[in-house]
Amino acid sequence: MSEKAYRVLESHNFLQGVMYRYMLEGHAASEEGKLAWVTSGFPVEIPVAMDVGVSYPEQYGAIVGSEKVGPKLCGYAEELGYSQELCSYARASIGSVKYPEESPLEGLPAPQALLACNNICGTVLRWYDAISQMIGAPVFLVDTPPLEGEQLPHHIAYVRHGLDNLVSFLSEQFGTTLKEDKLREVTDLSTETIGVWTQCLEACKNKPSPLNCADRFLAMAPVVAIRGRDYTLEYYQTLLNEVKDRVANGLGAIRDEKVRLLWDNIPPWFRVFRIMGSLAKRGVVFPADTYTHAWTGSFKDEDRMDSIASMYSNVYLNKGLEAKIDKMCGLIKDYDLDGFVMFSVRSCKRYSLGQLVSKELVSERTGVPGVVIEGDMVDSRLQNDAQVETRLDALLEMLL
Amino acid sequence: MGIGLDLGSTTTKGVLVDKSGKVIAAHLIPTGAIASKAAETVLEELTKLSQLELGDVSTVSTGYGRTQVKFAHESITEITCHSVGAHNLNPGIKLLIDVGGQDSKVIRIGSNGRPTDFELNDKCSAGTGRFLEVMARVLEVSIDELGPLALKSKSPCPISSTCTVFAESEVIGRIGSGESPANIAAGVHQAMAAKISTLSRRVGIASPIGVTGGVARNPAFRNYLSAALNCDLWMPEEPQLTGALGAAILAIARASDTV
Ligand code: SF4
Repeated sequence: MSEKAYRVLESHNFLQGVMYRYMLEGHAASEEGKLAWVTSGFPVEIPVAMDVGVSYPEQYGAIVGSEKVGPKLCGYAEELGYSQELCSYARASIGSVKYPEESPLEGLPAPQALLACNNICGTVLRWYDAISQMIGAPVFLVDTPPLEGEQLPHHIAYVRHGLDNLVSFLSEQFGTTLKEDKLREVTDLSTETIGVWTQCLEACKNKPSPLNCADRFLAMAPVVAIRGRDYTLEYYQTLLNEVKDRVANGLGAIRDEKVRLLWDNIPPWFRVFRIMGSLAKRGVVFPADTYTHAWTGSFKDEDRMDSIASMYSNVYLNKGLEAKIDKMCGLIKDYDLDGFVMFSVRSCKRYSLGQLVSKELVSERTGVPGVVIEGDMVDSRLQNDAQVETRLDALLEMLL
Repeated sequence: MGIGLDLGSTTTKGVLVDKSGKVIAAHLIPTGAIASKAAETVLEELTKLSQLELGDVSTVSTGYGRTQVKFAHESITEITCHSVGAHNLNPGIKLLIDVGGQDSKVIRIGSNGRPTDFELNDKCSAGTGRFLEVMARVLEVSIDELGPLALKSKSPCPISSTCTVFAESEVIGRIGSGESPANIAAGVHQAMAAKISTLSRRVGIASPIGVTGGVARNPAFRNYLSAALNCDLWMPEEPQLTGALGAAILAIARASDTV
């Protein structure tokens, strides 16, 4: 047992470089007065094609969580009067704007606009309103009403209208224009990048799985935050090569794969590596999760604006419970998984609501057992390790 | 032989069984501040009771303090241990409801005695023994008197809050408005039974149903739970020892696996 249970990816160095560059570009854009903050499901290809820099407060929230300073930064927001029930990404972000000197990387670079899309939740709009009150940058909302079933033409038309307004807003705010060929170039690059990322995800159908979920949680950052850049594509190609190499040589993400599980929801950033590491020692790997699989799809239509409207309306969190259950069942079947872990995130009602019902239905349909564990992605005060451990142990005792 | 130690948040239980699974000795003490200390005390007591040398006997620990018992050969969750313990006592049981001092759990037991699904309530004291303890204190009776008091009631007074803190002030309000202690006590048990019944329905009702844990000894709780689930309940003679018994049986299985 001298070898570690977990294999580290060589391409992680590349990833670090990519993230560093993203940060520098954000600061440069902010200094030029051309930075927008965007939500994780925002149609970012539009500001990127208009030469507006972007930063992602939710990705910053993940950094706050990983650095284990969630309780401190969330506490600053609570001092201002925000409830502990408010999403901890929002609280961490509000706290870091209030006290940047106390925050990792001294906070995100200051934005000149706040771009929210409510395809992930309604919280983002109020959160950006709160930031706007503090720093004065205006908020723009792209409204994507939730979808049950197929997206109808009037729904696309409505979202499309919002995107046209977005273009006018950005032109006015930043003095730029949107060129058709530039949008085509950026969306093509996104499609290609997402395609390579999807291949990395799908390679995990192999046994042993070449990636564990903690690997994917890290590797997903650029496909969320740095779209329409050639260096992002280059990173994923490097990752894919490494993944293919592992598959060809029969190397798994963990040394001795015995149990394959599905992970549902955002991870507890302050604890995820410890949890995954200790499970890896017992032969448990997570070849699939609903979170990193949420950033897939492609822009193919002739009319790129329509294509953007359709893709960003159809994101995982904007669809009904039935779609989520189908997705989980599909992943369990396609990746040949033995069970599932649903992380109930206190902060994120949109993701966590209905998990108890889904657990029952997913078990019934797939015949594999699952467990719901409770906690939070950033605010470790909302999580009790002993309780999480007992539930995970009990699931494994059913499987091993 | 096999030893099972169940280190709960409130009490620590120990059971020694012979190789056929028959109980030779059992003991139970309050856990106190240091779980590992409680485990040692229980082991000493099992040695005294059985007058046997227990140094090499295969031992499994369970409960929230399970990983703190250094001399145990393995630690297994209370979910699996309760399931195995209940199955051993009554192989027909399909659903087990265990209500302890600070948590409650509902386990669906498969035909082999292993759990196939479960739900835990451990974030919140509503629906645990702690809830009844708080209410007994407000009503100024001991925890053992609370159940019998409730059984005297003819018309339970509804307690609508599920939160222990809110329910406490609700009960104080009822006392103030002159409601009889028996009716209040009955309402308290009814509220508790409703909470546990919801947890059970999440796993799915499948009879016969067993109840274990310290709270199972309370007759009013069993009455109201049985009414809420619309189903008879089976209870072992020593409901608190079920987890430790399961651990002891798993300890025997473990020893015969490794030999
Ligand atoms: S509530 Fe959920 S979807 Fe919304 S910002 Fe927070 S984590 Fe994201």
